[in-house]
Amino acid sequence: MHDLDEQQWRELLQRLRRFALWLTRETGSADDLVQATVERALSRRDQQRDEEALRAWLFTILYRLFLDGKRRERLHARWLSWFGRAEQDCEAVGGNIENIVLAQADLQAFAHLSTEQRALLLLVSIEGLSYKEAAETLNIPIGTVMSRLSRARAALRDLTEGNPKPPALRRLK
Amino acid sequence: MTRLIPSEDELHAYVDDRLAPARRAEVQAWLAANPHEAARIEAWRSDARRLRAALAGFGEQPGGAQLDLAQVQRRLRQRRQRRLASAAVLLLALGVGGLGGWQARQATWAGNELPMADAVQAHRLFAGSEALDIQASDPTRLREWLGSHFNRVGQLPDLSGYGFQPVGARLLSNEQGPAALLVFQDRHGQRISLFLRSPGDRYQRMPDGQRVDGQLEARYWSHGAYNFALVSAADDVRGAGVGEALRLGL
Repeated sequence: MHDLDEQQWRELLQRLRRFALWLTRETGSADDLVQATVERALSRRDQQRDEEALRAWLFTILYRLFLDGKRRERLHARWLSWFGRAEQDCEAVGGNIENIVLAQADLQAFAHLSTEQRALLLLVSIEGLSYKEAAETLNIPIGTVMSRLSRARAALRDLTEGNPKPPALRRLK
Repeated sequence: MTRLIPSEDELHAYVDDRLAPARRAEVQAWLAANPHEAARIEAWRSDARRLRAALAGFGEQPGGAQLDLAQVQRRLRQRRQRRLASAAVLLLALGVGGLGGWQARQATWAGNELPMADAVQAHRLFAGSEALDIQASDPTRLREWLGSHFNRVGQLPDLSGYGFQPVGARLLSNEQGPAALLVFQDRHGQRISLFLRSPGDRYQRMPDGQRVDGQLEARYWSHGAYNFALVSAADDVRGAGVGEALRLGL
């Protein structure tokens, strides 16, 4: 990680942030997630990795941290509901990346996929991870990677063909 | 012309360019012969392409604000040091607390345990009452009684020189074993008592001393196998003389 030059470092951060943004759907949380990932990686620089492996490793850390956060959030929500507060759940893309998505028609269909499908497509189609690396990152068997990829592509196809979408992206309540 | 119809997984691998070159060529040939499948695969591929285009630059930090690697490292180092420092402080606090607690425990113990407090207690409870095991106005009889219960005790002196005659005695016991209360009385009904017992873990052998406890005064000493205490009225001037006589005799 220390061998990276300014440009490589910048690009790596942008990739991490993009992944984090599609997971958390919120810039603040995404930035926190990226920072936590970098910190975790720095505190565990036990072995030298080439750039490709380093990227996959960082995605893995980021995804684990994201899942940990989700688990904590769910726990928190359950506590709140015990104390009579309503649980708020928004599965679709919302918050402040909604604007970015609205500006690009191609992203609207993508935004309607589930978080798991989005994460996999990002890793495989955008970041170019191998199926094995994606399986390790998402901590699922490779067979699940293939079936999830198949479903994600079919879903994306349906959503894209179903265009024109309604002009405004609605939040699913 | 194809060995095998490609599986769904292989079709995805074809789109993602993950097939071995030989197989890739075979799949390509199969797709050429199956235009319907080829269209489906091409749609996946164009979806991926469009997504890549749409997401290029997505996630770029606005305003070029960057996560500074050196800064993150500095922060990590500081946090580690802070954690170490807190751990050290915690350890220190535990140590001080534990040691302090232990000493406080000993202090409260010592504070609660006034020397021969049980002697004063016994005098209050029994010296005035008639609830004594034996009634003995004869010093010899009292001496025998004492000798039969406490075999390592010396000669009980005659206190008639101070105006005190034996009234009786009572056998007592506390955590440390048997104890005895010997009661004497003068012509006016003023009573004094002698208390004795073995020194135990909690009641160590002690230096000679005396203290006033309310209306009463206790003089205490250790001798031989026992601890002794003479309890008398605080304003009774004969206490010192009687105490001295007992100390010499027992």
